[in-house]
Amino acid sequence: MKNVLVVDDDADVRIFVSTVLEENNCSPIITKNGDEGLSKVREKKPDLIILDVLMPKRSGIKMYRELKTDDSLKKIPVVILSGIAKRTFLRSQEALTEFGEKGVPEPDFYLEKPVEPEELAEVVKRILS
Amino acid sequence: MKINKLLFITDFEELWFDAIKSLMDLKKAGLNHVVFLHVIKREDVAMRRGTGYLKETEVRLKEMANVRFINWAESIFEQGMECGAYIVVGDPVPKAVSAAKEEKIDLIVTGRHKKGKLEELYGGSETIELLRRSATPVMVHKFMLGSGKVNDKPFERPLLALDWSPSSQKALEFLVAIKDALKKVEIIHVISENKMKGLSKIELQKIQKYSKKGLDEACGTFEKEGIEVAAHLYIGEITSQIEKAAREREASMIVAGTTGKSGWKERILGSVPRYLAEKSELPTILVPGESRTDAD
Repeated sequence: MKNVLVVDDDADVRIFVSTVLEENNCSPIITKNGDEGLSKVREKKPDLIILDVLMPKRSGIKMYRELKTDDSLKKIPVVILSGIAKRTFLRSQEALTEFGEKGVPEPDFYLEKPVEPEELAEVVKRILS
Repeated sequence: MKINKLLFITDFEELWFDAIKSLMDLKKAGLNHVVFLHVIKREDVAMRRGTGYLKETEVRLKEMANVRFINWAESIFEQGMECGAYIVVGDPVPKAVSAAKEEKIDLIVTGRHKKGKLEELYGGSETIELLRRSATPVMVHKFMLGSGKVNDKPFERPLLALDWSPSSQKALEFLVAIKDALKKVEIIHVISENKMKGLSKIELQKIQKYSKKGLDEACGTFEKEGIEVAAHLYIGEITSQIEKAAREREASMIVAGTTGKSGWKERILGSVPRYLAEKSELPTILVPGESRTDAD
């Protein structure tokens, strides 16, 4: 069974994503913000991360950047699941790179909320296979 | 003292995204993270006879706030800044204090939240309660001025009101910390009319001399940091003189300390900061003294 880390501050989304994951033989690990998410990634080294963007404490943008600039974590695939547009996510990463931070690759998949369970399941299966 | 992280409290009535844009001069002073807070008041979703808890209303109100915050956050993110949001149900002041503590906020920005005369008489507004309880500097933003104009550059020309208290020293340090966002600082000390009653001419001159020395020292602090500064001594009723100075010096906002006392006195907010927060037309930043801790 694959471990999938879910990072989202919205309890309803966490329940929705966990249910989809369990129905697809994955084991969800649940966290509420980027800070919690990052420490869980380091502890559990999951097979996949499903990450929201707009969250308290540390946003998905910062967490994603931390993941992709850490040699021990950068290979873990990341699916962004957010109400924030993909264009904004990419622009914000570009802006941070312009300010002197390292460039980071695009996420493996970008899903804008709301997402259908079948679509999420399909993306998870494709990445984990 | 650094101003990296700001908590923007909105009820979507007084403060909108254009008010946040007016704060972006703080980027020059290190601001790189904005956190939004919207508190849905308990009474809006509370249990009522025959209806129970209004879960559907809560979901709808949260979703409305979420749509707005996502739109605002996109603009913040695209500038390469960090952004977060809280949409919660509860009492606004404790929620704001706890979010500020949780996020290690450097500046809280809120609206004036005008209340009716009766509420003012018995409890004051939520803003006043927040000022009483916050250990973090609070900006009471008045984006729309009474004249109908907008104050889109509040940090350009702050007026610092000094009373030589520890909290007013903190207010001075606050301005030094955001020096790169400022154009010119106007400093004022008001010798209270009441304080002068019954004093001899010599005693009055001593007060004047002491006040001027304090103003000179404050000017020196700013000049050392390369900030243009001017100092002024006013005499009279404190709040009206601060307002008068702000008008005469074309200030863009007022900065002052709160009482900064410890223990139970924490809950008492001086009449001057209270007046400035609620009545002054200009945005006001009120900085608590060192000894204060969050009273949550």
